Amino acid sequence: MTQITLENLGKNFGSFTALAGMNLTIADGEFVALLGPSGCGKSTTMNMVAGMLQPSTGSISFDGRDMGNVPMARRGVGFVFQNYAIFTHMTVRENLAYGPKAQGMGSAEVTKRVEEIASLLQLGSMLDRRSGGLSVNILQRLAIGRSAIVEPAIFLLDEPLSNVDAAFRAVMRTELKQLQRQFKQTMVYVTHDQLEAMTMADRIAVMDHGKLLQVGTPLEVYNNPADTFVARFIGSPGMNLIDGEISKSDKTTMVDLKQFGSFGPVPDAVLGKLKSSDGKVIFGFRPEMVELDSNGSLKMPVNFVERIGARTLLHLGDPDDSIKITVSNHEPVPKQGEVAQFTIPPQAARYFDPQTGNVLRGEA
Amino acid sequence: MTTHTSTIETVDKKAGGREANLGLWLTLPTQLLVVFIAVFPILMQLYISLTDWSPLDGIQWWRAWELWNTFANYTDLAADSQFWGAVGRTFLIMAICVPVEFLLGLGLAILFVDNFPGRKILYSVLLVPMMVVPAVAGYMFYMLFQSGGPVNDLLSIFVGYPVRIAWLSDPTLALFAIIVADIWQWTPLMFLVLLAGLVGVPEDQQQAATLLGASWTRRFFTIVLPRMKAIIIIALAIRVIENFKIFDTLFIMTNGGPGVATETISVYIYKITQQDLIWGYVAAIALAILIVLSLVSVFAIKLIASKEQAS
Repeated sequence: MTQITLENLGKNFGSFTALAGMNLTIADGEFVALLGPSGCGKSTTMNMVAGMLQPSTGSISFDGRDMGNVPMARRGVGFVFQNYAIFTHMTVRENLAYGPKAQGMGSAEVTKRVEEIASLLQLGSMLDRRSGGLSVNILQRLAIGRSAIVEPAIFLLDEPLSNVDAAFRAVMRTELKQLQRQFKQTMVYVTHDQLEAMTMADRIAVMDHGKLLQVGTPLEVYNNPADTFVARFIGSPGMNLIDGEISKSDKTTMVDLKQFGSFGPVPDAVLGKLKSSDGKVIFGFRPEMVELDSNGSLKMPVNFVERIGARTLLHLGDPDDSIKITVSNHEPVPKQGEVAQFTIPPQAARYFDPQTGNVLRGEA
Repeated sequence: MTTHTSTIETVDKKAGGREANLGLWLTLPTQLLVVFIAVFPILMQLYISLTDWSPLDGIQWWRAWELWNTFANYTDLAADSQFWGAVGRTFLIMAICVPVEFLLGLGLAILFVDNFPGRKILYSVLLVPMMVVPAVAGYMFYMLFQSGGPVNDLLSIFVGYPVRIAWLSDPTLALFAIIVADIWQWTPLMFLVLLAGLVGVPEDQQQAATLLGASWTRRFFTIVLPRMKAIIIIALAIRVIENFKIFDTLFIMTNGGPGVATETISVYIYKITQQDLIWGYVAAIALAILIVLSLVSVFAIKLIASKEQAS
């Protein structure tokens, strides 16, 4: 139960920068997901928090105490590895007892703790089984139990669900979230799966190319992405981004989307933020924030219709870089080759700077 | 439908039978070769070992039955004090060499798991003794341990007066010199095998143990060693079997002497083969050793299998 502070944290491997200038404070008892594609620096961050890697720059502190010279055995960090790193040559009981024994607890205390944690995690019936042949969900519980038994201040989980199939993942997500509620520990969860991050985390830290791009609650990150990367990465499918140009007429300012029509009015707050003089802007909207409307100002040819059950996903415009919108099955859906005409509620429109990719804040 | 399927099945069975026959014919030459290489020499040995046959008798080996003596060679062997002396010395050398080679090899392997400057060069240097022809190693140590040789010269520098120890003429020191030579030559093999085992111990399990607060020693004995059990058994079995056959270095250094002080089983067999020419007896010894070594191997394999089942 500890607050973690990362200050200007960076890591270089030779000339390769795996992480740079990471600033993040994780509150006591908070569940934070580090989310990003492979190679974004999320595991590097995690390994530095655990003490497996030394930072090249910056510092890590737990409750204000600098961890620079604290070896990993003394950090009080529970780590759940991607493949669980269960000691398969030992029984479940020996696995659970490993930490307490290593820390020199008496055998009565060890037995008591093993019994407690085993009943909490429903491992009681298999304490004397060899851990080698156990199923994945039991291995996961065992891995968590083995770390939890020594009451670490912090729990770090490195993609613990990446080895299981989709159906099982849903079960384990719920289980993991419940376990976190039971232990009330600070948890840092590394994943490349946005669904895991969205469903479990209190806050999500989105990373790419060794940089922290945005930190926020799942809904904040979803609704108000800080830049085009986050906008595309979060959501399935991600946010639609279209190159546009600001066009001013007498009354209103619109964004001209060329053959797709135009949208407006563009809020003054956005116009104020716009730095480039040529008026170029990236226009973004979520696929589900669309209303089919025969008077709508946006028109795009349908090149593919994907039925996904309750809703239908339409691929519009350029087949190689298509705009995706989801529409309800209850209304007539345009067919392939037809033109979809629609509107977007003004509060759902997002604008990004084409040079920096950063959002131009103007949300209603 | 039913008739159709049954016809197809019969056809298939016939085809399968023909295929099996064809397979037998195609592999027959190789199978015969294997029989010739593996089975024939053993059967021949067994046959000879039950006779009193010697090349001096002037009869061909297949007529050795004329000199049939049933198990006389084996009963002689049981009462042959020179043989048992050689067995004892062989085991003595093994009992010292194998544990020392194991501990040195393991120690080196632990040092070489982590990277350090010059690791690659040192690694290659360490493996050189293993690649030296044993006869050459024998010559090297023969030269080193001469009474006027480098070992004595080095000792002289340390003690400050000229040392003239006759290493290879003293029964105990000769044995010592041979053990040193064997350790020099075969520690690298132990090192190589154990390093492979050590590298194979999952990194994340060791890190998990560290994060749980385990010290290096605890990690080594609870994670690393148990995970290396199979490879340790393999390494020990290889060296036990090889060391049991110790001959070449030793033969060049001491010729089994002084007297019989360094006479091992192999040297003894050499002597009775080349000097006494009692080949029926040699065959009996050879078979006895083969059986003992096979039992050691079977034991080691069973041990590995049980370890693998456990983990």
